[in-house]
Amino acid sequence: METRGQRFRHSLVTVWTLAVLVFLYLPTICITLASLTASRYFQFPINKWGLDWWQKTFSSIEIRQLLSTSITIALCVTAIAVTIAFFGALAFARYEWKGRSIYQKLILLPIFFPQSVLGLALLLWFNTLGFSLSWQTAVFAHLVWIIPVVTLVISIQVYSFDPALEEAAFDLGATRWQVLKEVTLPVLFPGLFSGALFAFLLSWGNFPLSLFTTGADTTVPEYLYAKMVAGYTPGVPVLGTVSTVGAAILLIGGYGAILAMRRAKAVE
Amino acid sequence: MAEASPILSLKSVRKMFGAHAAVDSIDLDIAEGEFFTIVGPSGSGKTTMLRMLAGMDTPTSGDILLRGERINDLPANKRPTCMVFQSLALFPHRTVGQNIEFPLKIRGEVPESRKARALQLMDLLRLPQSYYAKNVLKCSGGERQRVALARALAYDPQILFFDEPLSAIDYKLRKTLEKELKDIHRETKKTFVYITHSLEEAMVMSDRIGVMRAGKLVQVGTPHQIYSAPNTRFVSEFVGDVNVLPVSLDTDGRLHSRLTGARLKPPPVPEGFSEGHLVIRPEFLRFLAKAADADNAVSGRLYNEYVLGSRIQYQVRVGEGVFAVEKLRQQAFTGKLDDDVIIGWDAKDAILVTD
Amino acid sequence: MRLSQGGKSAIPVVLFLIVGFAAPLLAVIWFSFMPPRSFSFGGAPTLENYATIFQGTNYISFLWSLSLAVTAVALLALVCYPVAYGLVRVFGKWAMLLTLLFTIPLFVSENIRLYGWVLFLIKNGVLLGTLKSMFGLQLESILFSLPAIILGMVYVYLPFMLFPMTLGISMVPNETRDAAFDLGASRWQVFKEVELPLSMPGVVIGFLLTFVLAIGAIAEAKVLGGQRVIPITHDIEIAFTYSQNWPLGAALSVLLMLVVGVLVLLALRRFDLDTFLGRR
Repeated sequence: METRGQRFRHSLVTVWTLAVLVFLYLPTICITLASLTASRYFQFPINKWGLDWWQKTFSSIEIRQLLSTSITIALCVTAIAVTIAFFGALAFARYEWKGRSIYQKLILLPIFFPQSVLGLALLLWFNTLGFSLSWQTAVFAHLVWIIPVVTLVISIQVYSFDPALEEAAFDLGATRWQVLKEVTLPVLFPGLFSGALFAFLLSWGNFPLSLFTTGADTTVPEYLYAKMVAGYTPGVPVLGTVSTVGAAILLIGGYGAILAMRRAKAVE
Repeated sequence: MAEASPILSLKSVRKMFGAHAAVDSIDLDIAEGEFFTIVGPSGSGKTTMLRMLAGMDTPTSGDILLRGERINDLPANKRPTCMVFQSLALFPHRTVGQNIEFPLKIRGEVPESRKARALQLMDLLRLPQSYYAKNVLKCSGGERQRVALARALAYDPQILFFDEPLSAIDYKLRKTLEKELKDIHRETKKTFVYITHSLEEAMVMSDRIGVMRAGKLVQVGTPHQIYSAPNTRFVSEFVGDVNVLPVSLDTDGRLHSRLTGARLKPPPVPEGFSEGHLVIRPEFLRFLAKAADADNAVSGRLYNEYVLGSRIQYQVRVGEGVFAVEKLRQQAFTGKLDDDVIIGWDAKDAILVTD
Repeated sequence: MRLSQGGKSAIPVVLFLIVGFAAPLLAVIWFSFMPPRSFSFGGAPTLENYATIFQGTNYISFLWSLSLAVTAVALLALVCYPVAYGLVRVFGKWAMLLTLLFTIPLFVSENIRLYGWVLFLIKNGVLLGTLKSMFGLQLESILFSLPAIILGMVYVYLPFMLFPMTLGISMVPNETRDAAFDLGASRWQVFKEVELPLSMPGVVIGFLLTFVLAIGAIAEAKVLGGQRVIPITHDIEIAFTYSQNWPLGAALSVLLMLVVGVLVLLALRRFDLDTFLGRR
């Protein structure tokens, strides 16, 4: 195409994209800066740097409890969501069946739904059923939103799955179970892995659903919110930084692993 | 043919991708009203070449002249040329009529004249008028082909480019469309530049053919020249089955074939030839009663036969080598498999190539 | 009745969503017809809660939520389109890395990220502190104002607009754009006649997703707006918590669900998810 105009347009797009990235990471940078101050209140420029608050935060039993609650919830959500969503994705993208088109749209509804309202609806529902609220009810609440998301993530992989592979395995004498174990699962593994990553991280970062459904248990985002609204300590930015960096490492590590797997397969 | 005043000229046109020359110093003149086809295997640079001609890429060096005017940097939307894409690139959100009218709408023509022109073109391409409001996605492969061509013609280009538009179509329909395209060419008297990987397709339609290999034009000529006088082994092997014997020229003026051990009477030998290939098309080979019945003869064993519609092809194994011999069905060979046979050809029917 | 393979695979998800999504929503709807301040399903159905809402001032919160959402969506469309375009057409091998960078914030609780803005914008914070110490400028903070809320929304929901848009733009085949260009269309005409209509499915999904999220937003107004503006979700939360009037909260939720539901169903009605996600 017109090369000069195109080059100009492309540099505009590049500059704009970088600006948006800066916009996206600016608050994270601020949080990290705030966690590195030695004084009780945040003030910029920072006059006394220090890691005191990191130490204080991690030696706090309360915070260890928070982290363990958040991780437990996220792990449970991951395991359940991936299992259910695997079959959900097969129904979404692998098979042609009568109710598929309606099913595909129904699955989207929880995603296209205000989460705070969903949290309250679940609160009311648990109350009706007579469940007392705890981290277990929070797992259930997270799943309502996360299962559909993970189903979509896995579906994208399932779409590129050639059903003839399964048929070939059947034809070569494999049982239903062997086909699943030897063909379907290994081929779809990258999708399942992405799905698990999404499930874990979305649960880890979720606030609106946790807020109304954890009862006496508290997750990291809930704690942070409570402290933000009342009783700021530099422990807030410390935990915030940990959350962000943790998510980044998990995500980059996860995608690195997928790329490495793909490369290893290509070498074979 | 191309001498008079070419509509399109390429002067040492070159396109580099990094250190790799996708198109390498090509000189070419295309005459007004000509149906010119560029043939080459995938990766030979023919698509890159066409994209430069159409204005979607710019050459790294060299010039492209349209009626003598340099158009290197003229973008596609300003060039009086138009392309029919491999995928056809029909606008899926538009009807047949809207697709055809697109260039007219862009040009700001009023709806009435647009529609009139579209219907006229649909007539020319034998698309029923009722298709005007039909969704393009609901059209069959052949219909889409015609819509794409109508849309390009609506632009009223001086040159029409074709990027393998028939490659995804099944054999029978392709054969019909090839002929249709040639008829349209006759009807519209426009210059057509076509690229394909099938020399067979090129032969049917073209006035002239250019064979491309690794970014270079290996041979340019009429279909007849390309078929009967290929200048390289590469070109000779490009159409149909062909027998290629590695040979060297002996001091006594005869050819020595390493594969069969035979000593052969050569066709006219190019100057400076010492080693190369002897090319014989299967239809020039005959089964002989005795070796003396042709200039050259080899004996072998009839291994298999294949029915190719109007012709029958025989595979004859001679020493380490394999020969393909073709006969018309009416003149089918009566021998049985595993029979010992003698096959031969006259020196004038073979071609010597160096490459 | 014998179920097909696909139907069988769908069972776990469908069952879960019936219990975890449909049933709670039905419970909310039912509850909205209960007498005010009741906590059980036993009461005689009444329209009293809805009457209260229509006579009261909740409509102000509704309008706030709506206008905030519309503003956020419009701004997001402008911010994201060039980036999405770049990810598909300009950045080449860098697109993967950039996509990853745009994804990471998605997994950090929005509270934390919004709080980062508080630290940036607050008096003596990163922005004003820097301006003051380096240039001696004393400026008012925009924190706890309407612009701050909108900034927060644009910020939090950016990936939800960006990714569907990217998917949408990547659905426009290169040859189709080239063809329009070759047929004489200018850069702008190619965009208007071909790129935009063909990327529409992605753009619509992005609009829808961000609108729904934005209309249900609560944290932005609390953290960045300092309760300057009360969105409808806040009213709902108050009804459920401080004022302990669950039926009223339920009725407000039902109205919000109606707005969202009608919009989503309208937009998704003629939508082919197979072509969008699977590119078949």
